[in-house]
Amino acid sequence: MLSKNGKRDTGFWDAQRGVIHHSNGGWLAGKGVFCHGYDMLEDLVGKASYFQVLMLNVLGHLPERRLADWLEAAYICMSWPDPRIWCNQIGALGGSARTSAIAASVAGALAADSSMYGGRTFLAGVDFIQCACAERDAGASAESIVAGELKRHRGKVKIMGFARPLASGDERIAALEDVATRLGFRVGRHLQLAYDIEAILQRDFDESMNICGYVSAFLSDHGYKAEELYRLSVLCVTSGVTACYIDTLEKPPDAFLPLRCDDIEYRGQAPRELP
Amino acid sequence: MTRQRVKVQRRNESFVQRTVTRIWQEQASAENPYITESCRCHGYDLLELMSGRSYVDVLYLLFRGELPGKNESMLLEALMIAMINPGPRHPATRAAMNAGVGKTDPVHILPIALTVMGGSHLGAGQVEVAMRFLRKHRDADPDQLASDLLKHPMPAEEEDWRLAPGFGRRFADAECLSGKIARQLAALPGSGAGLRWGCAFADALAAQRLGWLNTGVVAAALVDLGFYPRDGAGVFQLLSAPGLLAHGMELANKPVTAMPYVDDEHYVIEKR
Repeated sequence: MLSKNGKRDTGFWDAQRGVIHHSNGGWLAGKGVFCHGYDMLEDLVGKASYFQVLMLNVLGHLPERRLADWLEAAYICMSWPDPRIWCNQIGALGGSARTSAIAASVAGALAADSSMYGGRTFLAGVDFIQCACAERDAGASAESIVAGELKRHRGKVKIMGFARPLASGDERIAALEDVATRLGFRVGRHLQLAYDIEAILQRDFDESMNICGYVSAFLSDHGYKAEELYRLSVLCVTSGVTACYIDTLEKPPDAFLPLRCDDIEYRGQAPRELP
Repeated sequence: MTRQRVKVQRRNESFVQRTVTRIWQEQASAENPYITESCRCHGYDLLELMSGRSYVDVLYLLFRGELPGKNESMLLEALMIAMINPGPRHPATRAAMNAGVGKTDPVHILPIALTVMGGSHLGAGQVEVAMRFLRKHRDADPDQLASDLLKHPMPAEEEDWRLAPGFGRRFADAECLSGKIARQLAALPGSGAGLRWGCAFADALAAQRLGWLNTGVVAAALVDLGFYPRDGAGVFQLLSAPGLLAHGMELANKPVTAMPYVDDEHYVIEKR
């Protein structure tokens, strides 16, 4: 649309120039620090847990303490200091290369933005269990839901939240179940369906639910959307990455899995002259 | 809880003993297997490449496995110049400038900016999908495809309109400069169906104030140069890196007051 002076109407952008309209909060000098309607220093510091505030910043509302405690436990389950894990190895390489702790840790966290592991898997994990639950509500059985997934993947168990790289079974689920029980949470319809699906996969394929499937189903029962869960998980691997960074930092450079020239197998073009 | 505890067992996955590459060969010195005596890129000695070929040629060699001909080299170099700087208003450049003026360690400026450059709005996150779009449609009638796509409802004026990956509008208009760059690249002898079809498609969209975006231009040129779509995002980041770093470093050498800071009067906390 052209305005009266013959120029393009850019009024929308003109109104945003030099002004920030923000719905989360902020620091107004002399007035306070505000966070989604709370006075941060008066209402939150010393009264809410860090994970409650983390969830507040992601979701826009303060969750009950026990749910934040459960998420904190889930975070512990999703990060351990084993440098063989891909994101952790990046942290270890950062230590070996003498990067800063923050650089190595965020590089590892970024690596976990992966379709194979880490927070991104929750997008597909939540999507699956919520769609499956809708199918079940419409009359489908867990058997038919699994059969449909197997057909889509030519008979292979490729259901996000079930089966796991490197190992079958996932010991973290039992630990989180114990936490959930202690905190008084009950099994909801998404998690019950996940258990039903797992029982079929165990019976037919010796495969089981993984932590992505458990967390996706548990938080679906609390009304969370896939993107919300993804956002809640942004730093879920970081503490293990930092631990792996520190371990190699405290050793000589290049001491972490050093490679000789012939440890890389070259299968390319034979030596040739420039044309 | 109703679940039976599951036994955890390692899978017997077969991992390789050594990482394989077709790109780079390092020859160890006779005395020390960790020290590189010489290395070759797709068979060519690095020191010979240094003296005999341009940086652009070796970049092409890295990704394509062969040295480019004169026309391909000219097209890639022109593309690299065109994309060398997203400009000081691009979100990625602004991220670099914020890092610089905020006294972030200079080693982090480029990674920070390139991370933002990975976004799907005007960034690398759009290039792969744009390359796939061009490869799929480059034999189609551009006028017909434009007509079909324009039948979809038009978004509000202030919204991004990406009619197709790499094509759309910003600030209610087509990007003039992107179109000029595309036409200049398409006129080079190394250009191919991607750039030529894209120009025809952009022409078909012009009446709706839509056209090329830089992501589409890069995608089309990389299609014509034979790059794989999955390489597109990273190559686009690589091409934009010099400008991002230059702007970040320019601000790194200035006081924190050298960029605007929105005062409280212009910071509006809205109720949800």
